[in-house]
Amino acid sequence: MQTRFSWFNVTSIVLGFAFLYIPILLLVIYSFNESRLVTVWGGWSTKWYGSLLNNEQLLTAGWVTLRVAFISATFATILGTLAAIVLTRLGAFRGRTLFSGLVFAPLVMPEVITGLSLLLLFVAIGMDRGFWTITIAHITFSMCFAAVVVQSRLLDFDKSVEEAAMDLGATPVNSFFQVTLPIIAPAVISAWLLAFTLSLDDLVIASFTTGPGATTLPMKIYSQVRLGVTPEINAVSTIMIAFVTVGVLAASYITKRSTMKAAADARKAQ
Amino acid sequence: MSEFASPPATATGAAPPRSGPRSFAPQSGFSPWKDPSQAPIVRFDNVTKQFGDFVAVKSCTLDIYEREFFALLGPSGCGKSTLLRMLAGFEQPTDGRIMVQGKDITALPPYERSDVNMMFQSYALFPHMTVESNIGFGLRQEGMPKGEIAARVEEAMAMVELKPFAKRKPNQLSGGQQQRVALARAIAKKPRIMLLDEPLGALDKKLRQQAQFELMRIQESTGTTFIIVTHDQEEAMTVASRIAVMDKGNIIQVATPNDIYEAPKSRYVAGFIGDVNVLEGKVSGITDGVIDIEGAVSGCHYKTRSNEPVSIGQQVWLAIRPEKVRITHDKPQSAINVVNGKVDDVGYLGSISHYHVKIGNGQRVTALRANTAMTVGPPISWEDDVWMDWPTEAGIILTS
Repeated sequence: MQTRFSWFNVTSIVLGFAFLYIPILLLVIYSFNESRLVTVWGGWSTKWYGSLLNNEQLLTAGWVTLRVAFISATFATILGTLAAIVLTRLGAFRGRTLFSGLVFAPLVMPEVITGLSLLLLFVAIGMDRGFWTITIAHITFSMCFAAVVVQSRLLDFDKSVEEAAMDLGATPVNSFFQVTLPIIAPAVISAWLLAFTLSLDDLVIASFTTGPGATTLPMKIYSQVRLGVTPEINAVSTIMIAFVTVGVLAASYITKRSTMKAAADARKAQ
Repeated sequence: MSEFASPPATATGAAPPRSGPRSFAPQSGFSPWKDPSQAPIVRFDNVTKQFGDFVAVKSCTLDIYEREFFALLGPSGCGKSTLLRMLAGFEQPTDGRIMVQGKDITALPPYERSDVNMMFQSYALFPHMTVESNIGFGLRQEGMPKGEIAARVEEAMAMVELKPFAKRKPNQLSGGQQQRVALARAIAKKPRIMLLDEPLGALDKKLRQQAQFELMRIQESTGTTFIIVTHDQEEAMTVASRIAVMDKGNIIQVATPNDIYEAPKSRYVAGFIGDVNVLEGKVSGITDGVIDIEGAVSGCHYKTRSNEPVSIGQQVWLAIRPEKVRITHDKPQSAINVVNGKVDDVGYLGSISHYHVKIGNGQRVTALRANTAMTVGPPISWEDDVWMDWPTEAGIILTS
């Protein structure tokens, strides 16, 4: 049976999507604008993408952003996975509630506060601010997202599978790498992509923890926008949107595919 | 698999011609637990397991011998699975020791207990591996050469008829096939002791009976000691050489299926294994191994042959299996071991019929009659006034 949409439904969907995506669509369209003036349409062109390649500052910022995102996503995924394993496998230990609270608190912590407290910490321990302080800050706030994603997978995972591996002679380490990790791999990859995306578009925390010579792309864009939007910014933003979209879609596709595949296999077995 | 549908066929046909360690009749002479020169392969020595305040297993002592098919039987939560998991190494006893072949293994982690392998209730198959690599997993952990692994996997798959499915993933298999993969994976390690935690719980009844005989065949042909946990008394009676009946963390009785059925130690065991009628009474006399009982129902006197040490005036219970109770319309000549009542319910099951009779104190007594020949006289029906009696040998005296 086909669901028919009423006029009311159609209108609300159109308005909703318009509200969400027209600004982004405009940005993408204007990144292909021939004109130098952002607000005046001068025909189609990809020249701003070309001039982007010669904009040393934007390229450097982009490279910093990618490196920060890659390193922080990797560490955040490792730490988040470990936290998730501790929370789901160790059972009740002293301080478990406190630990889980501490792991998940950054989820709801205002970014300004996270950024400010990290800044205070780096100043207090006398750490020079720059690339590494941003990376550490990003690890801190994206780790909890990684932990949530991996934990939800571990929770619906039959614990006796790990017991079986150990019963068959696998040490806990072997059992983790040969059995647990392959089974939770889709969740771990999703967690990495999520952490990568979060780091890629963070402005607030990066601004607090940055230092000379370490400017991320969102920071660069933000500072340039204050001097006026140039078509180059539109172009670089479009590229970022593409990155984030691909990351998010890939993460959800990986998760969805593994569940759909399992369901299809189960149907075949009948 | 059809050749295992009936036990006699297995005993004579498919099984190797040697006189097996245990034939399907427990009387055949395999009873190492009676031989004091035999050392047990597994010994639970005063083992206690507590989870917080909850005592799952209370100081259990139990010996299991090589080549036994041993069943731990009890309702859920009685501690049977905990006992098994302690032997596998997944739980540490709070107190006591576990010995395998005379060695104390209490402190060993599961992956160092090479004599013991377990088959899980949920099968716990590795979903990302094919049937083949699931079965070979344990062998790869040992660092066995590839060719040898392939041969052992092949052998294990042949044993459970899984060869056509070697390249499939577990979720491409039916429940019965998954169960066989789980079995093959554990058996491929050639353990001396095989643990089975409710291995057939997820199968439907017909498949389960088939799988029971398959388990018995594999146990016999490999000579492995099997320890099975089950809550299904019929399953335990079918497969086991001995059964330990457990309740609330205690082992109540350890005996052969025959002894458990014919000589239960307590009302709990008698009631857990099969149907039983329990009549209350007081000992009124003891002569030459025959105990006289004054029934709680007025006017009822029972006599039964028993070695149970009882004293005059002691409260006892007389347990009688329904199939040993005779039911008639006419009053028997003797007044001993006779109760009178009204038929409350009749259950016709084709080959047999159950008659539930309400006696004087409102208690229901069940008699079971095989529908063999044409019954003489009018058939027994609802509301009929009937007499039930049983021989002196049929009753079992229970003191608890």
